[in-house]
Amino acid sequence: MEEQDYIQFESYLLGDLSKDESIVFEEKLKTDVSFKQAFEIYKDMSSHLKHEIENEQENSDFKANLDVISNMYFNKLEKDKTIEQPSHKFNFYKYGIAASVIILIGFFVFNQFSDPTYEDYNSFNTISLTVRSGENEAMTKAEHSFNSKDYKEAIIAFNEILENDYSNLEIQLYKSIALVETNQFQEADELLLKLSQGNSAYQDNAKWILALSYLKQENITAVVETLKTISQNSEHYKVAQELLNQLD
Amino acid sequence: MSAKKIHEDQKYVDGLAANNTFIIQTIYDKFAPKVINYIKKNSGDAYDAQDVIQETIITIYNQAKQNKLELTCPFDAYFFLLCKRKWLNQLKKIGGKEVTINEEVLSEDDDAPMLSFESSVFENKEALFKEAFLELGEACRDLLNATFKIKSMEEVAKSLKITYAYARKKKSLCIGQLTKLVQASPKFNQLKN
Repeated sequence: MEEQDYIQFESYLLGDLSKDESIVFEEKLKTDVSFKQAFEIYKDMSSHLKHEIENEQENSDFKANLDVISNMYFNKLEKDKTIEQPSHKFNFYKYGIAASVIILIGFFVFNQFSDPTYEDYNSFNTISLTVRSGENEAMTKAEHSFNSKDYKEAIIAFNEILENDYSNLEIQLYKSIALVETNQFQEADELLLKLSQGNSAYQDNAKWILALSYLKQENITAVVETLKTISQNSEHYKVAQELLNQLD
Repeated sequence: MSAKKIHEDQKYVDGLAANNTFIIQTIYDKFAPKVINYIKKNSGDAYDAQDVIQETIITIYNQAKQNKLELTCPFDAYFFLLCKRKWLNQLKKIGGKEVTINEEVLSEDDDAPMLSFESSVFENKEALFKEAFLELGEACRDLLNATFKIKSMEEVAKSLKITYAYARKKKSLCIGQLTKLVQASPKFNQLKN
């Protein structure tokens, strides 16, 4: 094809050709096979670029959400299987177990007679970021630091991961926990607000951690407000209600 | 194609395009077990199934987002065939084994094999387009990135300090170059196979 052909493709797609020009153009599409082939690729390529570039953020949100749902589904399958066959070793999937499943917060330790504190709720379970195929240094470091409660080091490693994979919501959530643990509330709350407003499966987890962050900051009004937004389907709903009752 | 009636399961396709969490979860609950079963019976495990399903859903999402998917058959049959073909192609790649993909009839619906085949072609085409874009010169890549991000050609021209007419011409020629790169790729002729 000549330069002129591509310029004409663009004009046709934009609807910029006159009626007569369009008729000639469409006639050529019918009769000239190589013209038609080039035009079809040009058209599909334009649609591809539009989708990839214009919807970039939307697409990565979708993939992140899909990742969470997929992990939750397959982890549940694996868990059911483990119950059936107690000897079966637990396997972790690509990005480890979904956060919603593993952030089981130890709420049974608190003292019913004193005011609830952050420390009553912050016994976070260990995380697993073990990548199934191939070791990843940052993931290993993040996992190890987080699990040994070295949250400063964990934040460094999370940032490293996010540099290449900025839309990884699971890592963002873990990072926010580490930020709350190290009293970097402003950054933590910003991140958690973003996650809790997003359209992902991490929404309620983020709300729960945000409530804990406010609790640590002793901003009880904000704790109550945040707890009230946790949906009934969330696994944190029950503990959220209990905390609400304590605060009332 | 346009004369055919859209199946009510189009709701799954639309739900994916809208990143609807509930719909995505439903797709897993309803349609994943059959795929997992199939892959496990054919030299794979749950991990393989997880990857295949995830990649397949991304393909459907991409196609739906570009308004190129109108379901005229049940989602179940379409989805299963698409996953199955993906898995068999992977087996072929890993093992170098010759795997015959026979499309046994799943339902009386004739559209499922056709639609799932079209989606496979779409997926390969997208991959080829991505490769071509990476081969493109930096100036063209910058211009196209700006064009599709900013939308208004006037503003693109302003931000790149070129005239409107030149920006528009350049855009056509850059996509023209991509077109040539695609046609020159050996993969292009294999698309329909």
